[in-house]
Amino acid sequence: MQDDGTAEPAGAGREAFPPPEEAPRPARRRGLALAALGVFGELLITLGLVLGLFVTYSLWWTNVQADRSASAASDRLRDAWASPGGGSSATPGATPSPGGPPRFAAGDDVGFLHVPAMGDGYQVLIRMGTSTEVLDEGVAGVYEQPYKAAMPWDPSGNFALAAHRDGHGAKFHDLDAVHKGDSIVVETKDKWYVYKVDSTLSETSKYDTGIVAPVPARSGYAAPGRYITLTTCTPVYTSRYRMAVWGSLVRVDDVDAKRTPPPELRHS
Amino acid sequence: MYAFIWRHLPGNTLVRAVISLLLILGIVYLLFTYVFPWAEPLLPFGDVTVDGGDGAAAG
Repeated sequence: MQDDGTAEPAGAGREAFPPPEEAPRPARRRGLALAALGVFGELLITLGLVLGLFVTYSLWWTNVQADRSASAASDRLRDAWASPGGGSSATPGATPSPGGPPRFAAGDDVGFLHVPAMGDGYQVLIRMGTSTEVLDEGVAGVYEQPYKAAMPWDPSGNFALAAHRDGHGAKFHDLDAVHKGDSIVVETKDKWYVYKVDSTLSETSKYDTGIVAPVPARSGYAAPGRYITLTTCTPVYTSRYRMAVWGSLVRVDDVDAKRTPPPELRHS
Repeated sequence: MYAFIWRHLPGNTLVRAVISLLLILGIVYLLFTYVFPWAEPLLPFGDVTVDGGDGAAAG
């Protein structure tokens, strides 16, 4: 249809009215208008296709990229752990400080987050920082602002994490499936930190920074303790609100030689 | 517009179809590699953190 409109409007007009006295003028004008309308329609179709491609990009391609990058980084971290004196070289992971717990700078890989409620074998790499560059790599980012998160081995504080709900790995896509009583396990080089979920918040403003405070607001916690907070956006496919899941530390297990997971992670 | 492009492609129908396919693939590649990564942070679909306003962490 479009071909006819744009291809030969003048010719068609001339053929239809052999003696071109007054006919060609409106006919040509109508032909031009039709051609313009055709181009406009094609532009709209193009816009629709581009928007469709953007959805494909956001919900599929960014996942492919993020999963690829996170999986490579996870392998690097596990390799660094497995090698003697692991993590001490310029690899991602711990920067050891003599005589103290490891210190991590922005972009360093800390360990792994396991949440059985989000699926069997669910595992997400934990990396310092919540910048777009960090989170877009398909990891759970450790908050450094507005509140600097405490690390799991710190005597008290809140280990606050964020990850994407959709796209870029969508690691917290199923965060709404985590309920009170569920287990959250943080795996580091030589410890399993086992948390139990105490409360969840299904929706709050994105300015509600109190939810990642050392004693998280609205969580029901009143005194300092060793907490974990998982945050992402809600509802799915938007960034309108934020949601949070809070847990407290119940146990710390040593990692054995075979890295046997704690009972919470074994298939129930 | 598309008819115009089609008419100005060289070769017979088969060659034109191949060139069209290559053009489409090239455009999709450019969109996925440059345009969408640029546009995505400007659109409010990927902010997951809480912060006190803009300038703080978002992603």
